[in-house]
Amino acid sequence: MTRLLGRVFAALVGLFLVAPVLVTVASSLTTTRYVTFPPQGITLHWYAEVFRKEEFLSSFALSAGVALAAAAVSAVVGLACGLAIHRHRFPGRGALEAVLSGAFAVPTIVLGIGLLQWFAQMGLASSAFTLLLAHLVLTVPYTVRLVLAGLAGLDRSAEKAAAGLGAAPFLVFWHVTLPAVRGPLIGGAFFAFITSFDDLTVALFVVTTDLQTLPVRIFNYMQYDYDPTVTAIGTLMVLFAAVAVVVIERFVGVARLFGADAEQHR
Amino acid sequence: MSTSTTEAPAGTAVRRGRLRLDGVRKSLGGKEVVSAVDLETEPGEFLTLLGPSGCGKTTTLNMVAGHLTADGGVIEVDGRDITGTPPHRRSMGMVFQSYALFPHMTIADNVAFGLRMRKVAAAERRRQVDEVIEMVGLGGMAGRHPRQLSGGQQQRAALARALVIQPDLLLLDEPFSNLDAQLRVRLREEVVALQRRIGTTTILVTHDQEEALAVSDRIAVMADGVIHQLDRPSEIYLRPGTDFVAQFIGEVNALDGTAAGPAADGYACRVAGVTVAATPVGEPPAEGADVRVYVRPEVVRVGAGGNGLTGSVRETRFLGSRIRCVVTTQAGTVTAALPFDAEVPEVGAEVTCAWRPSDASLTAR
Repeated sequence: MTRLLGRVFAALVGLFLVAPVLVTVASSLTTTRYVTFPPQGITLHWYAEVFRKEEFLSSFALSAGVALAAAAVSAVVGLACGLAIHRHRFPGRGALEAVLSGAFAVPTIVLGIGLLQWFAQMGLASSAFTLLLAHLVLTVPYTVRLVLAGLAGLDRSAEKAAAGLGAAPFLVFWHVTLPAVRGPLIGGAFFAFITSFDDLTVALFVVTTDLQTLPVRIFNYMQYDYDPTVTAIGTLMVLFAAVAVVVIERFVGVARLFGADAEQHR
Repeated sequence: MSTSTTEAPAGTAVRRGRLRLDGVRKSLGGKEVVSAVDLETEPGEFLTLLGPSGCGKTTTLNMVAGHLTADGGVIEVDGRDITGTPPHRRSMGMVFQSYALFPHMTIADNVAFGLRMRKVAAAERRRQVDEVIEMVGLGGMAGRHPRQLSGGQQQRAALARALVIQPDLLLLDEPFSNLDAQLRVRLREEVVALQRRIGTTTILVTHDQEEALAVSDRIAVMADGVIHQLDRPSEIYLRPGTDFVAQFIGEVNALDGTAAGPAADGYACRVAGVTVAATPVGEPPAEGADVRVYVRPEVVRVGAGGNGLTGSVRETRFLGSRIRCVVTTQAGTVTAALPFDAEVPEVGAEVTCAWRPSDASLTAR
């Protein structure tokens, strides 16, 4: 009986999580000029409409570019930071760790306001670069955490063993240290990509009318036109994320990225 | 270095690897953990650094391996000064308590690692890897990952990985401590047999006295960063040179007295009015000097009459392989561990405790 209730509960939670996505996908197929669910008839007209609107395409390019850069930079900086914190005792180490852990707690809207001020004071005009900086504030702490977790699972003796077997410091890093944080790095980069690609709150403060990420573009568009183009874009974004997950799953395994690999590092 | 000298056939092991430490020192975190350690091995020797945790034995080993740099002193292998050489340019195979295998590589890849670093050609590499994996008894396991192996198997793999590069020295850092008691004894016997066969000088670090006695050609007993005594296991056991060595390894009777002078066999001293004899460790003491005699329970003979400390038996206890007999003598309590088939005295009986002078040690106090 409890088992049955458990299943029902699980199913309800799952439905709750998936329902908005299903509604979005379904309503993108409607033939009406307004968003409605269930959809009236079926058409791919709104998808064609998305590709006809150049501003959406350029926003997608901007979002994807910044997200890719955020992923790459987060991985590199996360690795460097993680190694420094894990391996070395330096002045300010405790403070750095505290800031990195605390960063999660800062509401993104506060971060957005702060960054707006900060960039203005520094005389940095809005650009893809400032957007990237803003997103790194969100993503680097996470990557550092993941790398630290990966390093905690690495036996330092293994590095000593490699050195003793004739591996120069870089080769020790390449053959022993890096494989231990490979999962965390890919996971961190993946997280950074999604965070950056999805971010609306911080981007709202940093962008200009000429420079809009896809979520900002959708948000602005919806204030004037609430036609099914936005649901079509939403569906495309879901597809995009799904493909990314499948690709990562194929090469690494998503579960392993998020720490479900206790057995691996035992 | 990349050429592979083929394994010498059993029985004709090439003994190599003469390690010499001269005044090696190391401070960590402002505290001197190794102070002026001198040590020289014979090629092919199995030498153990024995001591409690914090005695500096692991620090010493790490300096030999190059993971720590000595603050002072010289480390030489076969006459080459390697004091400042980084670990990857030394040729040392090291085995760790935690096995330290590379978790993402198969056993074969783990073992092949050192050969890859030495740029040994693939075919030759495979041949040597197969050979050494076979040698440590892991045939058929080459394709597995470390986590699929038991602790004992992982340590065999680590040993294979260390041996395949034919190192100048084999360094073992508490390699048996993570294994359960039975496996520990079995694996250490295998390691000793293997070491005898390949003749590579081996330095073992352990805190386990029994293990040290069982495997070593010589033992260096360390405490507080210095070597207290460096000698064969039987010498260390029967003739401890310092209080620490006497107390750290097994049980001991420590008797205080004054030096009386050389005797026919050993050196005489007066303990509580009785003349007993023992073997001085190092320089014999001056006559009349305060000395301490160390006698292991196993060498004490308990009988009626004869020369030695006299007293009454306080208790006897059957311990299986030995019978423990405690005698209250004029010099205090003397414990004897009598052989299983010895004649056991009654409690309260008047007895004499005696020993061969060569089985007891005498040190200045």
